[in-house]
Amino acid sequence: MASSPLLRMTISELAPRIQTREVSPLELTEAALSEAHRLQPKLNSFITLMEEQALSQARELEESLARGEYLGPLHGIPIGIKDNIATAGVRTTVGSRVFADYVPDEDAHVVTLCKQAGAVILGKENLEEFAAGATSNNPHYGPVRNPWGLEHIPGGSSGGGGANVAAGVTFASLGTDLGGSVRLPATFCGAVGLKQTFGRVSQRGLLVTSFNGDHIGPMTRSVMDSALMLQALAGYDPLDPSTLPVPVDDYPAALGQRLSGLTMGIPSDYYFEIVDPQVAEAVHRAISSLQELGVKTKEVSLASMEYAGALRFAGMADSVVTHEPYIREQRDQYGPDTLYRTLAGQFVLARDYSKSLKVQRLIKEEHARVLQQVDFLVTPTAPVAAPRIDEKYFRLNGNEYRARGPGSGMISRCTSPSNSTGLPAITVPCGFTAEGLPIGVQFIGRPFDEKTLFQVAGGYESVSPSRDRWPQLDEK
Amino acid sequence: MPVSNETLKAMIRDLNGFDLSDEELDLIRPEIDFYLAELERLRELDLSSVFSSRLLRVDEGGSSNG
Repeated sequence: MASSPLLRMTISELAPRIQTREVSPLELTEAALSEAHRLQPKLNSFITLMEEQALSQARELEESLARGEYLGPLHGIPIGIKDNIATAGVRTTVGSRVFADYVPDEDAHVVTLCKQAGAVILGKENLEEFAAGATSNNPHYGPVRNPWGLEHIPGGSSGGGGANVAAGVTFASLGTDLGGSVRLPATFCGAVGLKQTFGRVSQRGLLVTSFNGDHIGPMTRSVMDSALMLQALAGYDPLDPSTLPVPVDDYPAALGQRLSGLTMGIPSDYYFEIVDPQVAEAVHRAISSLQELGVKTKEVSLASMEYAGALRFAGMADSVVTHEPYIREQRDQYGPDTLYRTLAGQFVLARDYSKSLKVQRLIKEEHARVLQQVDFLVTPTAPVAAPRIDEKYFRLNGNEYRARGPGSGMISRCTSPSNSTGLPAITVPCGFTAEGLPIGVQFIGRPFDEKTLFQVAGGYESVSPSRDRWPQLDEK
Repeated sequence: MPVSNETLKAMIRDLNGFDLSDEELDLIRPEIDFYLAELERLRELDLSSVFSSRLLRVDEGGSSNG
């Protein structure tokens, strides 16, 4: 059965049609649920489909429209929620067997905000076990598959969301990003992924994570939809001390503004040092496109990034502390990749944890200085396109790297530094490999300056070779 | 800096309350090796003047060359 043409639209295209009642939230939700059922055997992108709740929500939203109550651009829009974000009355597994039957009493703050904005929650999306990796090759719920190549990973850890957005099941999906887990599935699946500034969006209700550097952020089909999602999510949450009372900009208003007058920084260190030639070529073409749009270029040095590997020490130690109560009692419930990678954190000395924080400070300072001279940085989002699901290792420039489990980390090389600096970063599709797998370009901005990121990303999106391309899932 | 399997096993046993086999330790090793390699790299970096309160200047350290 062919999918509804409505599912090929973006939120910003649908919103005015829903507002004028040309498109019904119920009709849209039924189409999205039908597509979710149709594609689940191929993509394995959901852990729990919330069919009854979604239809009930859609009916209520339809009735409110009939009463003349329009909640805004997310009114009646089906979205997905990563299964490590709490949903009241709906099991939230964190992709684990440990939490297989866990049903939270209340929604995460972001889920509440999405519901208040009128979004319809379609279901809980598959992910890496405990969101601890970049493949979404889940040992308990099965691997998520990439719509652009079913034998390839969708990226992780928010792989179900990336696959759903790219395949036309959800219009947006909320993921979580501790080292690139929103941006990597977005880039591997050919979607837009945003990790906003640390403190911009509440993490309250995000389960089993490090207390440093995690973010809940949206994956969407367009930059405008990313801006619309952040508009609904951003703001101070008095019950989450990691959020800050910084005024929220009008993000959609940033799109469509000219890019001339802006300056982009091209890092001469680190980000372009270990990159697949096809990825490097696509990102350099994106840089040329931005130049043609009037953006000035400066090469910038981020010399301290040579020590960026040390940033992982803190995460290693945080991870073992986070998992300690579960591993002690339920070690046999863990998959090997997460278990053995987590246990290694046991051996990080407090002295080295402290050194890691100093390196973090050094790198933050360096980015702060450079971002006084340029408006944003341009980097690849990932050094490679999506590796195959069955690959434990992948080759890059003649070397072999682990794709998952202990010793992995190459895939998140370009994304994880922004989790340590807290700086906002967005990935936008910028082309394909010869094999037809998506490539993404990453823009990194100043703290709380998501507006400039949307301006740049939106400008680039309008000339990107990826625009209007869809995966041909029915042929796979 | 090599760390023996016996040391690692004793730490896991004492701190987590369970035993790991040599085969399991081999699975953990790549992550520990990464940690030790990065530590080695850090030896050359002087972090003694890095404090959260120090004054920043735009033209110090990371810079633009355009």
